[in-house]
Amino acid sequence: MNVLKVSGWKIAAFVLPCLLIYSLLVFVPILVSFYSGLLDWNGIGAAKFIGLKNFEKMLTNDSIFWPAVGRTMLLAGVSMCVQLPIALFIAILISRYVKKPNFLVSSYFLPVILSVVVIGQLWKTIYNPASMGGMLNQILESLGLNSWTHSWLTEPKIAIYSVIVVALWQYLGYHILIQFTGIQNVPSDIYEAAKIDGASGLKADRYITLPLIVPIFKISVVLSFIGSLQSFDLIMVMTGGGPAHATEVVASLMYNMSFLSMKYGYGSAIASFLVILCLAATIIINGLFSKLDKRYS
Amino acid sequence: MKFKPLMMALLASALTLGLAACGSGSNGSASSNGRKNEGSTNSQTNSGTKEDTSKKEVKITFQNIYPDPTDPKYKMIRTVVANYEAEHPNVKIELDSLNTDQQKVKLKTQAASKEVPDITIVNPAAQMKPFVDAGLFAPLNEMVEKNGLKGTFQEGILDYYTFDNNLYALPDGNNIAIVYYNKKMFEEGGVKVPTTFEEMVGVVKQLKAKGIQPMAIGEKDSWTGSFLFMNILLRTNGGPGFLQDVIDGKKTFEDPAFTEAVNAFEDLVQAGAFQEGATSFDYNAGENLFKTGKAAMYFMGSWATGGIEESTANENQNVGVFKFPTVNGKGNPDEFMLAPGSAFAVSKDSKHLEETLDFLNYFLVNYPKEMFNLKGAIGLAQTVDGDFKAAGYSDMAMEVLNLFKDVKGGDLAFDNTMNPGTAQAHLSSIQNLFVSKTDAGVVAKEHQTAYDENKE
Repeated sequence: MNVLKVSGWKIAAFVLPCLLIYSLLVFVPILVSFYSGLLDWNGIGAAKFIGLKNFEKMLTNDSIFWPAVGRTMLLAGVSMCVQLPIALFIAILISRYVKKPNFLVSSYFLPVILSVVVIGQLWKTIYNPASMGGMLNQILESLGLNSWTHSWLTEPKIAIYSVIVVALWQYLGYHILIQFTGIQNVPSDIYEAAKIDGASGLKADRYITLPLIVPIFKISVVLSFIGSLQSFDLIMVMTGGGPAHATEVVASLMYNMSFLSMKYGYGSAIASFLVILCLAATIIINGLFSKLDKRYS
Repeated sequence: MKFKPLMMALLASALTLGLAACGSGSNGSASSNGRKNEGSTNSQTNSGTKEDTSKKEVKITFQNIYPDPTDPKYKMIRTVVANYEAEHPNVKIELDSLNTDQQKVKLKTQAASKEVPDITIVNPAAQMKPFVDAGLFAPLNEMVEKNGLKGTFQEGILDYYTFDNNLYALPDGNNIAIVYYNKKMFEEGGVKVPTTFEEMVGVVKQLKAKGIQPMAIGEKDSWTGSFLFMNILLRTNGGPGFLQDVIDGKKTFEDPAFTEAVNAFEDLVQAGAFQEGATSFDYNAGENLFKTGKAAMYFMGSWATGGIEESTANENQNVGVFKFPTVNGKGNPDEFMLAPGSAFAVSKDSKHLEETLDFLNYFLVNYPKEMFNLKGAIGLAQTVDGDFKAAGYSDMAMEVLNLFKDVKGGDLAFDNTMNPGTAQAHLSSIQNLFVSKTDAGVVAKEHQTAYDENKE
């Protein structure tokens, strides 16, 4: 580590402007939204201060809230435990076996660039019932698997998984790109040295690639986790949180409460919960990875 | 990395200067505002004569929900605005066209920061109440008296936009809920137009057996199913006013009329009336099934008439309409679900209140004439002079017009009667009936619980 020999006030001169703008644009609204969470307010008229009642109702007396939290966590969990390992696996394969990898990485990345509305509509037509030209069900029927066909987006028990699959598919390329870049940055002379010591292929990946891309992997984990917590647009496009809240996640619930039920205060309480959740998640993930870092450095 | 102190200082100063520039930028705009104000005060002090004030540049923002170029209203609004601007060279009307959902959210966000556009769109009764309570709209009582505008509106329609004797918005339509049906598909299925709800369920079963999709609905936008359910409730209740009775404390949702309606609605769903995956079809996708001849019946407000007329389903006048029938022998088919339209409201804090009111008056005086010419004058809130038949309106349009003559009152949609919190719980509860069979008592209880929680 190089330590810059710079005096404190110079550092301050550089940091302060950004810090000011950042706090104005980020911290102040967060505080305002915490405060709004203490109000009984429809977002338009006069607001009434009711203390922590919104939070109390949210945590103890709202039949929709905890299931929505559960679904959000499910999405985050599946992203971390399924999406990221698959992305890592593909990234390793590409970097090892593909001569000109750019095209392949770009094609994986394509869904990330597409607008969520396009993705949502695309998958809606895939999930449609066979009678409406739904591709997935038609394929299942042509394979003679009629019993496997479902109304993917409208069966309350299945709908959320259908949406999660789309979310995973959409951002897979994003994580492949991040991790592929990380793998590319591992100096090749290390691998050559390892070869001499008799470690190649999977062994080399286990003892060289994985430890060396931990910092990059951490970025992937944080991004995917926070992204899952905030997932909103895809849900809105595909199901709107329905049928009857079966695909409601925290962010969509917040929107529905604030703008449709016109309980702006209650919506703000949910927003505050989301902020705390994101903060906690980031701190925990950083903590876990700092342990990993220590082990490998 | 080694930074030279001089470079550092330079960079830092550049940064702070940049910031200062930003700051002065905002100051600049403030001062230019100041100048603008000075200018206007100058012109006011100089004015004295009326000519000068009439030359004042005025910009009016007109938020509207006509973004679709295939909709006659899209053309209408642009024509009327262009005509008005030609007559008033100093006035500039800026259109902010959004689809309905976007507009709702945008207006709520604007209202939260008290920045309502000069003219905006609100829904009647319970849905506009929060805005009225917050004192955001200018009363239109005097404005409607000008140019005989008030007289063009149908009897009683303005009541839905009136609070404490003050009129706050003027509607662009007044519609009733009807059932559209595809004659050819009815023939293929060997069924006749049902005269009772029980017959309707029978028709559904018969069509289904013949492999014909009986009904279409866009239930992702859950108000569509609610609208149909409320029509059943209007029958089982023996007439209008169920929700009002709940609000007045005379009835609860556990009233037999309500559970009977839930059961009838479930009969329809369980008979297989609606397309598979109905809850993932949005409004347009659901309507398109009917328009493209993929479903035999479609329950909707009469505003859908224009679009259905132009559709492939209506080739050779193939689409007919019928009134929603009686349920278990109860109710009167001449009582309809009424849909007083979305309405134009004027911001109380508009910088050009006078000009805005003048423009809106002009706009609504010309609106029915313009819509008549564009063949979109079915289901307006204003009386339209003109011979529809001679103007080339289709048979179906004439049928719908005739249904309007039979209207003997009815009910408004749930969310126009109830507070938003209860309405959302209701929408989700009814949407649930599309995907899982639920005991009517449970549905009633869900409603009552939500109502007790959200009561004002």
